Amino acid sequence: MRRTVLTAGGTALGVVLLLAAKPHHTVAVAVPAVTAPEQDSSGTGSGTGTGAGSSSGSPSGSSPSASSTGGAAKSTGVRTITGGSVDTRWGPVQVKVTFNGSKITAIDVVQEPDGNPRDQEINSQAIPILTQEALAAQSANIDAVSGASYTSEGYIGSLQSALDAAK
Amino acid sequence: MTSTVGAHRSADARRGSPASPRGDRAALLAPALLAAIGLGALVVVFLWWSNTASVVSPAAWITNAGRLCGLLAGYAAPVLVVLMARIPLLDRTLGSDRLARWHAMGGRYMVGLVVAHVLLIIWGYALTDHNGLVHQTAQLVFHYPDMLKATIGTLLLLGVGAVSARAARRRLSYETWYYLHLATYVAIFLTFFHQLANGAEFVLSTKAKVIWYGLYLGAAALILWFRFAVPTLLAFRHRLRVAEVRPEAPGVHSVFITGRRLDELARATRSGQFFRWRFAQRGLLLAGNPYSLSAPPNPDYLRITVKDLGGHSAALARLRPGTRVFAEGPYGAFTAERRPGRRGKVLLLAAGVGITPLRALFESLPARRGELTLVYRASREDDLVFRAELESIARARGARLHYLVGSRAEIGEPLQARTLLGMLPDLREHDVFLCGPEGMTRTAHEALETAGVPRGRIHHESFEF
Repeated sequence: MRRTVLTAGGTALGVVLLLAAKPHHTVAVAVPAVTAPEQDSSGTGSGTGTGAGSSSGSPSGSSPSASSTGGAAKSTGVRTITGGSVDTRWGPVQVKVTFNGSKITAIDVVQEPDGNPRDQEINSQAIPILTQEALAAQSANIDAVSGASYTSEGYIGSLQSALDAAK
Repeated sequence: MTSTVGAHRSADARRGSPASPRGDRAALLAPALLAAIGLGALVVVFLWWSNTASVVSPAAWITNAGRLCGLLAGYAAPVLVVLMARIPLLDRTLGSDRLARWHAMGGRYMVGLVVAHVLLIIWGYALTDHNGLVHQTAQLVFHYPDMLKATIGTLLLLGVGAVSARAARRRLSYETWYYLHLATYVAIFLTFFHQLANGAEFVLSTKAKVIWYGLYLGAAALILWFRFAVPTLLAFRHRLRVAEVRPEAPGVHSVFITGRRLDELARATRSGQFFRWRFAQRGLLLAGNPYSLSAPPNPDYLRITVKDLGGHSAALARLRPGTRVFAEGPYGAFTAERRPGRRGKVLLLAAGVGITPLRALFESLPARRGELTLVYRASREDDLVFRAELESIARARGARLHYLVGSRAEIGEPLQARTLLGMLPDLREHDVFLCGPEGMTRTAHEALETAGVPRGRIHHESFEF
């Protein structure tokens, strides 16, 4: 009995200490206008919470069916490139990237999972965060949004394919 | 076939004291194994750590606590399976009983983690989404990938956990308990997929997925190899059959088993070890019951002696000669090698049917004349088995043999320090091998310690399942 109490108490303490050791403000990108990622958690089927793949986890190589449909002008000026459509468990995700020269100036979502109101709600929170992160990073090397891992994966994959096509 | 005592020079006696002492190896292996398991748990925590940027809201605290519990439970499952994979190195060095105890403790811990995981995730997600708990539970079960499977698996696991709990287990037969445990494999399989599909650690990280697949496939491979392939190969090699069933005492029967190449089996087996036995007869084929050899392994036959405790053990009395036997083993570390290189006096302390491994050790445990004593406790004179054999071994080896017969009402508790010291004034100089029902071994353990026998010299294998 005492061992049970000690083990349970020890585990609870360990978990609380681990959680306490994490920063308690939003990290990575500042997202002033948007709710913090943690409050948007519970995602399209994925993630039990604070997401954010390790920074090296850019799924550039893992974009499942990215078929780049590059378009528009060459090297300079304003142009838009539509990334490949990436199938996720909840539906395809596809982004359109606007460049000014080599600078990413805007990212619009062409397709997103919208099978049910819940998807829409999650995406409405996650996609602005992903866009902010990508604009700040000027690359697809961004963290996934907690609770929206699938949408994040699709977004990052499609973005990467657009960036590849822009080269 | 006879069971003439001393007809076979035992494997143990031939071998003498082993060169690489297993007692010392156990002393190294136990902490090493626990350290490895702990290290693995740290890696799992690190998966979460590196995948979690920050913990901001109350909902995130709860959800992340749930994730950690889930990850640790997902790690515990294959570890617990591996402990029960009957890996010879672990079983023979640490002892099957110790592994089973660790497995039971870990199992209870894992069930706790699973419950915490389920509750915290539902709560955390509900807070985030501003949902009611019931609505959120339905969302999770029906709308998240692989969650229906995981729900079924979890309910199975909790069911097995409930019936394995100490109180309920007493009312179960070994067989029922055994089959229920097989359901945990199904449960683990069913819950595996939701981990990869929903775990934020795995969705985006191939490395984490590879680790997880390695863990689960590795555990599955060990189980398939040691619990399925090896026993099957053994069955084909030795083609064991029942030779004879012989009554030893009221409700106690010996089963003699013969087969091919028994010399090989005898060489691989030590007195004091056990096999898990299956017989090609209704009700005896699926559940492998552990029974110790009741005679030292020898090239002519294997003998087990079983008390009718219902179910499997009762059906053994009705085995017909010629019935095919499937033996899985040998297992157990309750052997002469518990006292590596140690000379000196040995006490074998048996109660009831716990005599079986000690009967084998009494014949073959290396000891000089006058240094070996067997104390055999039984409630009634009729319950004593192997009397003729024991007395003949005692004569041949110059060993002492004491019976402690009588119910506690008649003779009081005989397993007390005072009684034992009365028989063996130099008790504290003995290595003690202890085998019997749970209550008896606990009483005897206390009495021995009171009498001054160092804990490290009391060797004990429990057969509680």
